[in-house]
Amino acid sequence: MAKQDSNSPTMIKEAGKRYGMDYSKRALREAGQGYAFMAPTLLVIGVFVLLPILYAVFLSFHRVQLLGGTSFEFVGLSNFVRISDDYRAGIALWNTFKYVIIVVPAQTMLALFLAATLNAGMKGEKFFRIIYFLPTLTSSAVLTLIFMWMYNQEGAFNQMLAFLGLPTYNWLNDPSVALTAIMIMNIWATAPFFMVIYLAALQDIPDSLYEAAELDGAGPIQKFWHVTVPLLRPVTSFAIIMGIIGTFQLFDQSYIFSGGSGGPSNSTLTVVLLIYQYAFDSAGRMGYAAALAFGLAFIILTATLLQRKLSKEETFY
Amino acid sequence: MKKWMRSIGLTSVLVAGSLLAACSSGDSGTDNGENGSADDVVEITLSGWGSSPAEQRIFEDIIATFEENHPHISVNVDIVADQYMDVLRTRLIGGNAADVFFLEAFEAPALMETGVLEPLDDYITDEFNVNDFEAPLIDAFTQNGTLYGLPKDTSTLALFYNEDMFEEAGLEGPPETWEELEDYAEILTESTGQYGFGVVADLARLMFIAEAKGGSVTQDNLASFSDPKVVEALQPLIEMKQSEIAGAPSDVGADWGGEMFGQGRTAMMFEGNWTISFLEETFPNLNWNTAEIPTIDGVNGSMAYTVAYVMNKDSEKKEAAWELISWLTGPEGMELWAGAGFAFPTRTSVSDELGLFDDEIRGPFAKATGYATVWADDTNLPIIYNNFNNEFLSAFLGQRPLDEALEEAESVANREIED
Repeated sequence: MAKQDSNSPTMIKEAGKRYGMDYSKRALREAGQGYAFMAPTLLVIGVFVLLPILYAVFLSFHRVQLLGGTSFEFVGLSNFVRISDDYRAGIALWNTFKYVIIVVPAQTMLALFLAATLNAGMKGEKFFRIIYFLPTLTSSAVLTLIFMWMYNQEGAFNQMLAFLGLPTYNWLNDPSVALTAIMIMNIWATAPFFMVIYLAALQDIPDSLYEAAELDGAGPIQKFWHVTVPLLRPVTSFAIIMGIIGTFQLFDQSYIFSGGSGGPSNSTLTVVLLIYQYAFDSAGRMGYAAALAFGLAFIILTATLLQRKLSKEETFY
Repeated sequence: MKKWMRSIGLTSVLVAGSLLAACSSGDSGTDNGENGSADDVVEITLSGWGSSPAEQRIFEDIIATFEENHPHISVNVDIVADQYMDVLRTRLIGGNAADVFFLEAFEAPALMETGVLEPLDDYITDEFNVNDFEAPLIDAFTQNGTLYGLPKDTSTLALFYNEDMFEEAGLEGPPETWEELEDYAEILTESTGQYGFGVVADLARLMFIAEAKGGSVTQDNLASFSDPKVVEALQPLIEMKQSEIAGAPSDVGADWGGEMFGQGRTAMMFEGNWTISFLEETFPNLNWNTAEIPTIDGVNGSMAYTVAYVMNKDSEKKEAAWELISWLTGPEGMELWAGAGFAFPTRTSVSDELGLFDDEIRGPFAKATGYATVWADDTNLPIIYNNFNNEFLSAFLGQRPLDEALEEAESVANREIED
């Protein structure tokens, strides 16, 4: 404790007072040193994050032709106006929205369920933790290829369904189930990541609370709903925000699934995939793609803020 | 503090200095090497996409032959593994594309329009004899009367049929008309329990069928495939699929037509000549043969796909690049390449010489080069293509009527184009 005190802001301030004029000089020097140490990071962030963002802002207000004598023509807000009557942007947004609405709650609940079962203190907990976590470690491209193989008309999924006497589907080529196939895959792959976070949080809940609940006559289900779930709310909030951001940006899975087209019948077309298609075709629609990207960023921001408002995470801390 | 800053400055100067020294010593090393040889060797780069290992080997042999004949040129072959057009466009924008590269006819108009390709008219001599090329293939790389690319080869579609399955169904010889094809498909489905006919629901494969009744898929660079004549021409495919005598590769879990046919899951299939070597290598025990695609209303039809060598306008070694292009597409280079049997020559003189028309397996494909619809249109074909495929599939799967699906796809495509 004493050690911490000597570094506290008040101590430094007092030391500064003692040295009079020296105080500001020293502070400046320290600040300079701090910035010098940060310089490499600032430079990297500036060049690879800030500049591209600013450049994207610039692009979104221009009609851009990159191939053959790069040209920029200022078009004001027309790129943004165009989004509203773009039929494919509507489909992409609707697909993405469906995806977020189903995947985020499903993966969060599955993560909580997995964490709760692992935390119940059964045998081989560590073994299962590793097994559960494996999908998250696998690269999403590899995962998609493996799943496409299993989703094949005569692949593992359909054989399993047929064995259970359930109807089989043409997962890859039927527009009505293609997006569902991607959803199932992603819920399976992402849930374990949040499970690990839940697991850490679960181990932080003091036993005394459960004991108190038991004394009040609560059963295991009541304990879960009235002690575990409320105390995990900050973590749930984190899992949902990260989930929303991640799912809105769905790209690689649907790209590989459809070979880049967003098919069958636009059913796996997501906003990011559409942005990619517009940005990299030769029709010179990079500016419009940048405008769409900003539209998506705005939607994600709104969704995240909304989620924060609704989940009042401050209550417990 | 100042000391500290100074030491950083000193280190960076030292680091930069040593880097510069490293670079310059590297440069002088190569300079010495080049001066050592008798002539200055011009190094040019050729970009293309990968193909089967056998095909790749032949291609590299041909490039080696070129280098032997042209000792002052060294060709660096650069293979783009995936997403060729994305890679190519990015490199063109960044100004570091190859001197010579492959370009598919389908993608050509958009690139020709931007002016990143070198016009070839001024290079072509009378001796090169550009009139020897098949005219539709040259047209695919011509814009406003300027020629930008020389077609290196062409591939066409023909009918593959499974002889064992035909025997099982008591059929002799391939169908010759579309009506026969439908009857055969039904008989084959009934007697073998597999699909009689395999269909790939893709405009790149179906365009000749779509236009067989006098309609047109595109008009004035806009989509026009909701034309009742196009709908009428495509309707039989939908009906065959609905009555389950035709199936798509995905219906049997195959990735493409050749695989579906090879696995014996369909008795007939329209596929390209690239399927020949695939079937020979992967399914050596399969009994199959090829024939010309059945006529529709008495007229032959097929699709032709072609790839050209084009020159980068920003290339600094245009003379050497032209030497490479003109040799590869000249009679000598083309005969070497087409003789390997992976694709068909684009020069009529070479076709005649190789006698491909008489080949039992390759003959139908060679004949198709004369009447096939070239898979190329104008700058908006990629947009039209994508929208057609998206909606055609929903009709093909029986989720909505064909005319309604195509009408919607057409309006979406045209709105996207006009924006």
